[in-house]
Amino acid sequence: MDGCRMGQLTFALLLAATLAYRPVAAMEHRHDAKPQAAKPTLAVGATLDSSGRVWLARVENQQLWVSRSDDGGQRFSRPVAVSSAPEEIAANAENRPKIAVAQDGTVLLSWSQSLPKRFTGNVRFARSTDGGRSFSAPITLNDDGRIGSHSFDSLAIDGAGRVAVLWLDGRDRDAAREKGGAFAGSSVYFAQSADNGAHFSANRRLTEHTCECCRTALTWTAEGPVALWRNLYGSNTRDFALANLDSGKQRRVTDDEWRIDACPHHGGGLAVDARGALHLVWFTQGKTRQGLFYKRIADGRESAPMALGNPAAQAGHAAVAAAGSTVLLTWREFDGRAYVVQAMRSTDGGASWSAPRRLAESAGAADYPLPLTDGARALVVWNSASEGVRVLPFEPGSPQ
Amino acid sequence: MIRRLLLAMLAALVLAAPAAAGAPAAFTTDSLAKIKARYAGRPFILNLWSVNECSYCIAELTLLGKLAKTQKRLPLVLVATDTPDYAAAMQKTLGPLGLGGVDSWVFDDPIPERLRHAIDPSWYGELPRTYLYDAQHQRETVVGVLSEQRLRAWLKKHKLAN
Repeated sequence: MDGCRMGQLTFALLLAATLAYRPVAAMEHRHDAKPQAAKPTLAVGATLDSSGRVWLARVENQQLWVSRSDDGGQRFSRPVAVSSAPEEIAANAENRPKIAVAQDGTVLLSWSQSLPKRFTGNVRFARSTDGGRSFSAPITLNDDGRIGSHSFDSLAIDGAGRVAVLWLDGRDRDAAREKGGAFAGSSVYFAQSADNGAHFSANRRLTEHTCECCRTALTWTAEGPVALWRNLYGSNTRDFALANLDSGKQRRVTDDEWRIDACPHHGGGLAVDARGALHLVWFTQGKTRQGLFYKRIADGRESAPMALGNPAAQAGHAAVAAAGSTVLLTWREFDGRAYVVQAMRSTDGGASWSAPRRLAESAGAADYPLPLTDGARALVVWNSASEGVRVLPFEPGSPQ
Repeated sequence: MIRRLLLAMLAALVLAAPAAAGAPAAFTTDSLAKIKARYAGRPFILNLWSVNECSYCIAELTLLGKLAKTQKRLPLVLVATDTPDYAAAMQKTLGPLGLGGVDSWVFDDPIPERLRHAIDPSWYGELPRTYLYDAQHQRETVVGVLSEQRLRAWLKKHKLAN
């Protein structure tokens, strides 16, 4: 074999090896660079502003895009990118961007950014003071300066300038482990602003030992911001807790006794109506009850848990919106063939309810539905891979 | 020359093959039936996990990996509820835990509920989750982290312990 042939053979070997290895190498590379890249980003954020416009925040190509509809969600404006720099934005399952619009028109956004190291991320915030035409450079709200777990953010505003962002935070767990100790669950931290998000206060811890993998919920009441999260009671009982961020006063609000050493990936929803009644939706597989439930807490009294949806259709991931005396509940089911959006409405602050209504379906990948109400209108925002974002009016008069 | 080149390419492919060994198979609605057929008349462990969404799963896989090192006959089937795009990430997680060669599957359906239903209609996606199948394929469901004690007792009962 002469030198030339040897060279050719070596080249052929190298080429063949490269070809054979490429698929694996490419996937490895993609994983190293951005482990979340393959995740779908169907989970959207939406809100109704005081003029009745529907605002939408969605993630595509590592960008957060904001658009607005002036006709109840039939047509949306051309989306505006929040940031000029791409980043991994969690927009899957119980992670979604949050959007709120203050009375002066300030558009506020929070989201969870995923970092390359598994289970690490940042809670991010940006805002627009020109009606959504441009946005401030995103800031990281978690101020511990560590590569750690910061995720499942929730956002609430009073409309007049106060803003709260709350999230699950692994800093106490990391600190305990670094000292060789153990730490059950995660912690809840939050940051507040008094000027529509121009400045934020230092992070504060609301509580320690919470479930690590369920969304949090936050709403603004007459007494300030109130949060709902899946807490850890004892070593592994994952029932819900409610707390006012200003007073720090915390209490257990479900007695399901769901003891599980696992990630339920299934948080709760919270809204407050004009009378100050709190409306809760949650999921449990506890000893006391199993399934999807609603209850209201008004004047210190709690209604009995009301079961929602068809357990045989995996009814789950409920959300609640309230304004005036209207309360709108949505959840998702899978009927064996397609995803189905279900909704029910109360117009008397949760005392009585319409029958559940099947609003839409999709035979492919889909987000969980989001309810919106301004007291008069009741809309359900639902994104699905095949159909895109749909804004579905809840019309009890229409045929089922 | 051409024959040599082809031989060289073949050699390179054979050399490359171990890198792909243990790559997860696509789990679809009929996969559990296939797994059960493979284990016809034999007990097996069906363990559900996620590379992405479940910190508890890593603790459990560490235990299973530890056991797999001493239990050469561990009849373990791993099913991840991620998507096939996560194959490389899964391998990267399983390899160092000593589970690189285990029978491994990954959810492949835009509607994971369909696959959850095929496995267990009462499962809402909580992870980890394990099904201990006996030789008749009657199963025990373990919700949450499987304890070493329970696993060892199960192996002993089914005469699988070393």
